[in-house]
Amino acid sequence: METYPKRNNKLIPLAFLLIHSIAILIFTRGFLLTRTELPFHSTCSDASLSPCLSNNHSNSNHNQTKCWTKPVVDRVVIIVLDALRIDFLAPSAFFPEAKPWMDKLTVLQNLAFGNESSAKIFKAFADPPTTSLQRLKGLTTGGLPTFVDVGNSFGAPAIVEDNFINQLVLNGKRLVMMGDDTWTQLFPNQFQQSYPFPSFNVKDLDTVDNGCIEHLFPTLYKDDWDVLIAHFLGVDHAGHIFGVDSMPMINKLEQYNTVIERVVDILESQAGPGGVHENTMLIVMGDHGQTLNGDHGGGTAEEVETTMFVMSTKKHTTSVPPEFDTSSCKQDPDGKQMCISSIEQLDFAATLSALLGISFPFGSIGHVNPELYALGSSSFNLDNTKQPAVKEWMQSYVNVLCVNAWQVKRYIDVYSNSSVVGFSSDDMSRISDQYSAAEHHWSNSVKHLLMDNDGNEDSTNTSALKAQIAAYLKFFSSVAELARSKWTEFNLSLMITGFGILVISLILQSLAIFHGDNKPLAVGSGLSTGAAFTLFIVLVRACSFLSNSYILEEGKVANFLLATTGLIKLRYSVMRKAMRKEAFIFLAMVSVLRVSIDIGLTKQAATSQFMSSSPTWMLGLAPDHPALTYAIEIAPILSVAALICVLYIAVAKTHSEGMRKYVTVGSMLSYLLIALLWASESKIFGFDGFLQVIGGRNVIPQTVYVIGLVQLFLLASCHMFCSGKDKNWGSRTVALVSACSSPVMLLSGKQGSMLALAYLLAGYCIMRLEGVERRTKSDGQNSKLDPVCVVQWSLLSVCMFFASGHWCAFDGLRYGAAFVGFDEFVLIRQAILLTIETFGFSIILSVFGLPLLIPTHGEKRRQLFQMYMLYGVISATTVTATILCVTIHRRHLMVWGLFAPKFVFDVVGLILTDVLICLASAFCL
Amino acid sequence: MNEAKKKKKLDSSIGVPNDDSISALAAFSMYLITGLFLGVGFWVARNKFSVDLVSDPPLTLFLLWSIEFPVVVIIFSLLRNAPEKCSCFRAIGRSILGLISGAFLNALGAISLGAPIGMQYLLRTVHWSFLMSVFTFVPATAVFGASWTDWHRVFASMKPSGNVEYMIFIPAYGAIIGGWFGAWPMPLDWERPWQEWPICVCYGAIGGYIVGQIVSLCAMFFLRKDEHLKVA
Repeated sequence: METYPKRNNKLIPLAFLLIHSIAILIFTRGFLLTRTELPFHSTCSDASLSPCLSNNHSNSNHNQTKCWTKPVVDRVVIIVLDALRIDFLAPSAFFPEAKPWMDKLTVLQNLAFGNESSAKIFKAFADPPTTSLQRLKGLTTGGLPTFVDVGNSFGAPAIVEDNFINQLVLNGKRLVMMGDDTWTQLFPNQFQQSYPFPSFNVKDLDTVDNGCIEHLFPTLYKDDWDVLIAHFLGVDHAGHIFGVDSMPMINKLEQYNTVIERVVDILESQAGPGGVHENTMLIVMGDHGQTLNGDHGGGTAEEVETTMFVMSTKKHTTSVPPEFDTSSCKQDPDGKQMCISSIEQLDFAATLSALLGISFPFGSIGHVNPELYALGSSSFNLDNTKQPAVKEWMQSYVNVLCVNAWQVKRYIDVYSNSSVVGFSSDDMSRISDQYSAAEHHWSNSVKHLLMDNDGNEDSTNTSALKAQIAAYLKFFSSVAELARSKWTEFNLSLMITGFGILVISLILQSLAIFHGDNKPLAVGSGLSTGAAFTLFIVLVRACSFLSNSYILEEGKVANFLLATTGLIKLRYSVMRKAMRKEAFIFLAMVSVLRVSIDIGLTKQAATSQFMSSSPTWMLGLAPDHPALTYAIEIAPILSVAALICVLYIAVAKTHSEGMRKYVTVGSMLSYLLIALLWASESKIFGFDGFLQVIGGRNVIPQTVYVIGLVQLFLLASCHMFCSGKDKNWGSRTVALVSACSSPVMLLSGKQGSMLALAYLLAGYCIMRLEGVERRTKSDGQNSKLDPVCVVQWSLLSVCMFFASGHWCAFDGLRYGAAFVGFDEFVLIRQAILLTIETFGFSIILSVFGLPLLIPTHGEKRRQLFQMYMLYGVISATTVTATILCVTIHRRHLMVWGLFAPKFVFDVVGLILTDVLICLASAFCL
Repeated sequence: MNEAKKKKKLDSSIGVPNDDSISALAAFSMYLITGLFLGVGFWVARNKFSVDLVSDPPLTLFLLWSIEFPVVVIIFSLLRNAPEKCSCFRAIGRSILGLISGAFLNALGAISLGAPIGMQYLLRTVHWSFLMSVFTFVPATAVFGASWTDWHRVFASMKPSGNVEYMIFIPAYGAIIGGWFGAWPMPLDWERPWQEWPICVCYGAIGGYIVGQIVSLCAMFFLRKDEHLKVA
């Protein structure tokens, strides 16, 4: 049995760790697009570095303080209607078929298509991910937020990148916000006044909207603000709950119509000379669209296409030269011409900055939209009749674009220098060439034209301006294209490479199970029913990841499969007339876990946008029933007591000498401390004063951590310095698992001890049932590995993950656990605690506890090695299935809400499993 | 639990396989009768009570099992082991006990597999487990009674002797496996009414039961012939 070299067994897990890391790294490079947030901010004085500033003085009559561009509007009212589809606002003539939800916002349509209007409807293109938070971030920073924005905003979503809101504050503008509280999360300090309302409850259609309306109208009459943001959520919520084609949606749209009608009335009534809204711009926009089912998040046309209505209170008509006009026109039934322009949401921050005359956000890569800029540019030279309006507009626009181009180029340069994954040098040189060409043209000709400002009605003059604008626009579009390919498009070849490497590693690892096996796998009974059944269960679980529904209910699926294995084992145990009690206890523990998983799922449903809450587990018992609260307080402490007893028996029974015994005794001490902590936290024991006596509630947790670390240190040193004597890994494993279990239990909170007890019992039953389906006499003594017990153990650990109240989403992380024992935030320490809490039961304890499944300890190193390899294969198979699923569903609308978090959790879990398998095999083999 | 009880009565009757008590043709006609009464159950539910599995699962399930149960009991009581020692009424009596205990075991199994456990699902689970019991436990209790050795031989070791035992255990396993597969569509987000517990599980179980009947007919037809050949 000891014929193969011992060293190999420790290197093989390490090799697989490496292969998995490489595969995942490659795949992640292709899938999880990352972008580095830069901490820089634009300031007004920056513009002096640009080549454009010199022509400022051309405007001799201007003496107000001016930042990068000349402000053209004084105040802006931004009304955000969440999830506003393009067909909510655009006339039904633009669509193949008129639907009930179209043509409800008639006020805006009439304004946009009326004669003498200074209003326009835009078709706005959002960039995926089309979730509100990401979109607000994109709108205000003028960038393309990705799923993972690498920055220092761990936990808190506040935007640290330079953004439009921040620039407004820096430039002394006063902001008012009302509605969706996402804004106050993103911008905690920037608003002078804010009336946030919780966006949390999707089923509540009216709270946010009514709150908005209540504060909107009084605020409009005041003059103590410059920018007003009102974010309505009703349409988004109505879509999520009822879908687009529903009465609540139509009611919401009609309500908005009346609200906006009143807003427009107020603005127009104050729009006269000297009025509060003499030069105000009203913007009604959606942050993203939605599908007919009300979903959003992905990149389909329905989700990406939203809309924007812009109106200026100054009546004028500035026409844009046809070269820069993007509008598409249709005849309405009366034969009137209706035109809709288009705009990228990417350009929103830059355009509004230009309109308000503030410096552009540092990371903005959008350009000033010509048509939107034209709507505000009525204030140019109304007195100046020397030049036609179009030319005047072009002169100012080209100047704005110059600053704009300089700012974008600066950002691209800084980004590619400072980011870990910057742009390739080819792309950079192409962009630089385009910029320098435009720049050259600018400094040589156009700049002088503008400087002269002689008012020559020169056609070459106009064409030079147009060429200049076109050159800039070309530069902008290639920057946006590059940024999109880098930040929003998946790299399919990298993804497939990563997937391929993972599949190869999977095959290698399966072969490694048989490493050192004298007989190849084709032994008649070797690949018997047990192995076939294992394969079946693993494949069913892997295939279940191909559907989003099964991912949502992954805990239940794992539990279903675990119970199936339990039933099969029960059948065998009845057949062999042995271990029937264990089989029944195992099924009972599985039932306990499933109740716990149900409770976890209802917690998830409360926050998930994909799940509907169904409290099936409620047994009609009121949650605040006194007996229940009493049981909740007392049960964890009883389970800790039971665990202490189990440890005591384990110590008493095994004849482990010296160090390991003390390590296990140390865990008993930790358990005792945990029980003491929980008893003193609850009210019913009368231990309230205890915490004050020992000096705060952080003392006990910190002691437990210290004990755990000392235990691990002792075990490691013991293994290094006195190895060779003790071949019995049973006591070693007990010591290791017990050392790890106390922090895990402490972090998991009060349910932790009960779950640990259920886990222990179920694991014990798995161990007892190991090999029960074998014919007891013929190969009972054979050291063949029983694959079913490993698969049960792995399924049990998956169930533990869900039963301990986690789920594969970032809101499933329990941030509170990171602060058990500590009050202040230190990134690495808190991240370690959070990892221990999240993966404690499901990975740390299950990997370290795997050797306990072999009932008779002794010289069975090969079997242990095989078990670890099999465990690794099972974990890697699920991850491979997840990766395949993510690759297939990369354009799915739930990709950012569901698949990507699942991917992140699985990948972190796999790497952690591999690392721990390395450690454990170094420790035990 | 149930098994333990039966174990105590182990000495009561040692199963004597009654090899030639039933031919494949007779088995086929019995299957036709059970199938017919399943159909009758659905027909009554639809036409007399105007409900179906989707609109009112508990009532439909109740109708199904209460119509199917007498048929199954009568058929399998006729095939009971050692008919000279055990009256037909005794066979019927013990199959009622078997119905209840089998329903209990089925319900426990379903709950450990993840059947919902709220109060609003209680009635459905009860009636579903009675139906499953009719498919799985009732024939065996009617034929074997409490003879643990027979139970063990047929269900655990899968060494049936005689056509009756094929008729008992293959459709029973078929119903369980069919129900197991029937649970698969439940989590999918198709939002169809039949995805509710226990409708699709029930369809799966009935389908599995029928497949099991067909398989057992084939088994009787081919395997028995082989054995006869071997014996000859």
